[in-house]
Amino acid sequence: MEAERLERLKKTTYLHLAMEAKETLKKIEEDFPDRLEAMEYFYNLFHRVYTEGTPLKINRKTIGIMCMQVPEELIYATGAIPVRLCSGAHAFDQVGAEFMPSKSCPLMKATMGMLYIDHALYRESLDMVVIPTTCDQKRKAGEFLEEMGFNIYTLEIPPTKDTEEARYYWQNSVKRFALMLQETTGQRITRKRMREAIKRLNSARQQYRRLFHLRTSSPSLIYGKDTFVITNAYFFDEIEKWTEALRSLNDELERRKKEGLFTGNRSAPRLLLTGSPPVFPNLKLPLLIEEAGGLIVADEVCSSSRLLYDAPVFDEANLYDMIPAIADRYLKPCTCPSFVPNNDRKRRLLEIARKFGVDGVVYQAYSGCQLYEMEQRSIARTLMDEGIPMLYIETDYSPEDVGQLSTRIEAFIESIRSRRRRQ
Amino acid sequence: MKRIKQIINNSDINRFRFYIQIAAFGLLIYGGYLAIDLGNHLPTFACTFVEKRGGACYLFGFQHQMNIPINQLFTGRGLGILTGLLTFFALFILLNKSWCGFLCPVGTLQDWITRLRIKCRVRYSTYSEGLFSRLKKIKYILLALLILLPLGISNSFAGLPRLPHDFSTPFCMICPGRTVLPIFSGDIGQLIVDFSSRTKMVLTGLGMVVTGLFFTGAFVKKRFFCLFCPMSALQYAFSKAAILKLKKDGAKCTRCGNCYRVCDVGIRDIAEDIVNTDITKDDCMMCFKCVAACPEEKCLRVTFIGVPVYESTEEGFYRRIEGRCDNGS
Repeated sequence: MEAERLERLKKTTYLHLAMEAKETLKKIEEDFPDRLEAMEYFYNLFHRVYTEGTPLKINRKTIGIMCMQVPEELIYATGAIPVRLCSGAHAFDQVGAEFMPSKSCPLMKATMGMLYIDHALYRESLDMVVIPTTCDQKRKAGEFLEEMGFNIYTLEIPPTKDTEEARYYWQNSVKRFALMLQETTGQRITRKRMREAIKRLNSARQQYRRLFHLRTSSPSLIYGKDTFVITNAYFFDEIEKWTEALRSLNDELERRKKEGLFTGNRSAPRLLLTGSPPVFPNLKLPLLIEEAGGLIVADEVCSSSRLLYDAPVFDEANLYDMIPAIADRYLKPCTCPSFVPNNDRKRRLLEIARKFGVDGVVYQAYSGCQLYEMEQRSIARTLMDEGIPMLYIETDYSPEDVGQLSTRIEAFIESIRSRRRRQ
Repeated sequence: MKRIKQIINNSDINRFRFYIQIAAFGLLIYGGYLAIDLGNHLPTFACTFVEKRGGACYLFGFQHQMNIPINQLFTGRGLGILTGLLTFFALFILLNKSWCGFLCPVGTLQDWITRLRIKCRVRYSTYSEGLFSRLKKIKYILLALLILLPLGISNSFAGLPRLPHDFSTPFCMICPGRTVLPIFSGDIGQLIVDFSSRTKMVLTGLGMVVTGLFFTGAFVKKRFFCLFCPMSALQYAFSKAAILKLKKDGAKCTRCGNCYRVCDVGIRDIAEDIVNTDITKDDCMMCFKCVAACPEEKCLRVTFIGVPVYESTEEGFYRRIEGRCDNGS
């Protein structure tokens, strides 16, 4: 009985997911002019995985991870593959809503819903699911998942990051995680494997940084919606393929820049997106913004720049130094609102706003994500002091609020335009 | 010009420093063979006890000069102290604390010991921040003592008896530079406890203990001795006036802590301080490893008379880390 119900639920959910993904991809691909050649790789990838349901072939151990604080270098060093589980699918959100508290955030509900019916999108098995103790919902999710039969590893992360005590606590936590990984995968982490893993991830991040800097160009070279497609692909794509695809995209952008080919309206307000992470297929807000004539030129979210920007450095090429070095990379520069105090996020936003010549900031908070909701006030004040307007939007994965949101976004963009005219 | 700058910023300062250190070590320990003499006011531990040295540490002469009756301070002898200090100052402001990071033979020796440890794959030891900040004050105490003790030979303070003459260079007696550096010129004569007087016995005995601590300390902790170095304390008094500077642009800093992570002397402010632009702290030895470890464009900069000579760049950062991942250094 139960199995039959689950089977039915699975079927309908996948139908919904495919529809949702198709619709989003159609908007991304067709509603905007200036389609970039190198984007085809990423569009196709999402078509394959989300609408056609082609399983990703992986003959290696797979470690599911949540949040951006799980040290991926360690996973690669054991020969396993990390897969970021944080889901943006409304179809999964509805599944999760059945058993998650009604006020939990859609990202959490969707992730749980996905795992409930499928053990991670089109993947046979997950050998381990790693959940860092960031927000309350992520923390407690582990207990749920354990009951569902997942092998859960709770990665302890401190609630603050400014003290040396927090740093050492985290470094020890990461060391423990490394030992656990070795046990799960049966592969020892050696100096050489560690160095290779660092190099692998660094070259991916280096390409990301190239894109990051290219986006400072004004007029703009690429739509924000496309950059989210790219960074979302990082969640599950093979890292070498992803890096290569991004490299050719960057090359294309550089070529276009030389030829004077730009994207979007030259006078389009340049916007910065911060707050809760947009994850495919929930690119609702970025799409609404860019359909309304704004351009997302930069972001400060954990599914994109916060995930990929920072780079670790080790001082001694031995494991006793490389592993803490990796740990530092995931703690110190991180601007996740689960940390108090989080002044780094304010500073980061101001620096990005300055660097990208941003006209305004859009702050997305998923309803139920208390941390982002709470940090909104102080961020708004910081930005206001610098004369940067901010639009605060509380939303979720459902398409119901699209009409109301687009009105607000259009008004915001218009206000930036008229402000410009006055100056 | 732009190209030259790019090459410099892409370079690995560590390798450059490694060779400079070898050259400086050779010059300061064996320079005498080539009849090189850089004078007696060097702001670095070029030890006077090394026979064929290429120059001498300022502290040795400075301690001798401090053996002076207070009332003579404002006579010709005082003038001697002043010119000595000015020479020291003139040499120091040229290179700031880079004297420590690039030229000091005792520092170089510690870096070699660290290299040995890394080769042996022995972990470094870590300490709590509180202990660290307390230990760091010792260098100021040593600096005060190396002035006050020689003064106590010619003067009687608060009715206390004058100190014996053996206190004329108290710091040299306990400095590991005196015991260790002469070994490189084949002289192990300083590795003794001198029983000729009680003071000498105590001081040289202490010197032997410090020498032991120097080797063990340097093996488990990078630049262990530098934390206690009174030369470093004396230098810091003039550091703000130096023309070689380490600058930081706080707005560009993500506080990722890379600079702090590679810092041999554990200066946390380099990562945490986002307000001050002149970032040289008292323990800093200006090795500029932090600049090489910073992935932010021009966040950390080395300037000479205001002109940037070495800057942190993203390209340089990724180049260096990739190279290190490849060759495992």
